[in-house]
Amino acid sequence: MDEKKAAILGEIPRLRRYARSLLRDRDAADDLVQDCLERALVRLDNWQTGESPRRWLFTIMHHLFIDQMRKVNRRGEATMLPLEAGEAVAQPAEQVESIASREIIDALQAISPDRRAALVMVAIEGFSYAEAANILGVPAGTLMSRIARGREELRGLLDDTARRRAIRIVEK
Amino acid sequence: MIRRDFSERDIHMALDGELPGDERAAYDAWLDANPEMKARSARFAADRAALRAAFAGVLDEAVPARLRKVVLGETPVRAAASRSRWWLAAAAAVLVVAGGLGGYLAGIDRAGQEDPAEDRLAEQAIAAHVVFAAEKRHAVEVPASDKDHLQTWLSNRVGLKLVAPDLTANGFQLIGGRLLPAGESKAAMLLYEDDKGERISLFVTAESAQNAKGTYTSAQNGPQAVYWLDKGYGCAVVGSLPREQLAVVAKSAYGQLLAGLAS
Repeated sequence: MDEKKAAILGEIPRLRRYARSLLRDRDAADDLVQDCLERALVRLDNWQTGESPRRWLFTIMHHLFIDQMRKVNRRGEATMLPLEAGEAVAQPAEQVESIASREIIDALQAISPDRRAALVMVAIEGFSYAEAANILGVPAGTLMSRIARGREELRGLLDDTARRRAIRIVEK
Repeated sequence: MIRRDFSERDIHMALDGELPGDERAAYDAWLDANPEMKARSARFAADRAALRAAFAGVLDEAVPARLRKVVLGETPVRAAASRSRWWLAAAAAVLVVAGGLGGYLAGIDRAGQEDPAEDRLAEQAIAAHVVFAAEKRHAVEVPASDKDHLQTWLSNRVGLKLVAPDLTANGFQLIGGRLLPAGESKAAMLLYEDDKGERISLFVTAESAQNAKGTYTSAQNGPQAVYWLDKGYGCAVVGSLPREQLAVVAKSAYGQLLAGLAS
């Protein structure tokens, strides 16, 4: 197996984690990773050996994600998508998640895709601001404001969930 | 020690390791002097820890064979169309459902607004299902034996041309229907049952100004709603079936409802 392919294989777990944070549904997230890998292999020459493929792969995947989200938004406004079996469901039942994890994952899904991507890139994936701005293709200032707003939104959503939970307990 | 004014922006930079090293001491002193900022910093740090923990397990999962095969070149030319479309749709559902969860952007951009319309529709549909599907003798007002009257009556009351979908292919028989309040308007509820006594209901209202679709569960282990909103009407299918099965039934019901509306 050539060196490039081995390096790409090594990035799959990180790509899957990023995809999962963007899309929640496990199969949909893996589909996104698969689209990304396929595109990467077609463009293998764009990647210089010796350099980590991580940023290159994350850039490809992020573009795929954002393109698709835009299409969804455009289509969503005009018509409804045909509903296939199981596809209406966004919450994977097979995953064992603690309540805390589920709450924060739900909250993360509720913030805008741009903010979600920026926050995840830095807070989970550990990219620097410069790297993340580069991958997402935005100026550093934009990245920073997305991160700040994303964190505020997340906090608000989590507080709201906690409040609802408290009300539910009181009602019992 | 460098002296400068710090702000909330620095909290993010410090947390993300972007604060220059020579400003760190001054920043820490600023935090100590501003309990509110210190609390905010601690909260963001805790949220980040929770985020990392929530996704940490993904790194330990076995890489699906299909992904390895792509890289190793063992996959023949992909069935791209079907897969791409599927995750596109999943993304759409994520957009919609995420909106319904956790009080969409509560306290941020939409503070004080009511629940989104799709939440309301799904909640009403689930409430109706919980109350009436459990009734043995009084589940419906008009029985399926009087189907023509049922359809005409509900159509007139709700203000939509309603055709009760035929779900026999999915194993469900129409029991009947009833008229229900739905906020300030009316809704039609159609109840179905399979041969094991499992019931599902269809909830249709004429009031909706937006497009959305997704699923909704109000309580753990409670019935789930698969819903659609479109201009002019909203529809939810509620039941306690496994979600794939519910989605299949819902799709069938929805297709027939749409055809009925257009007829």
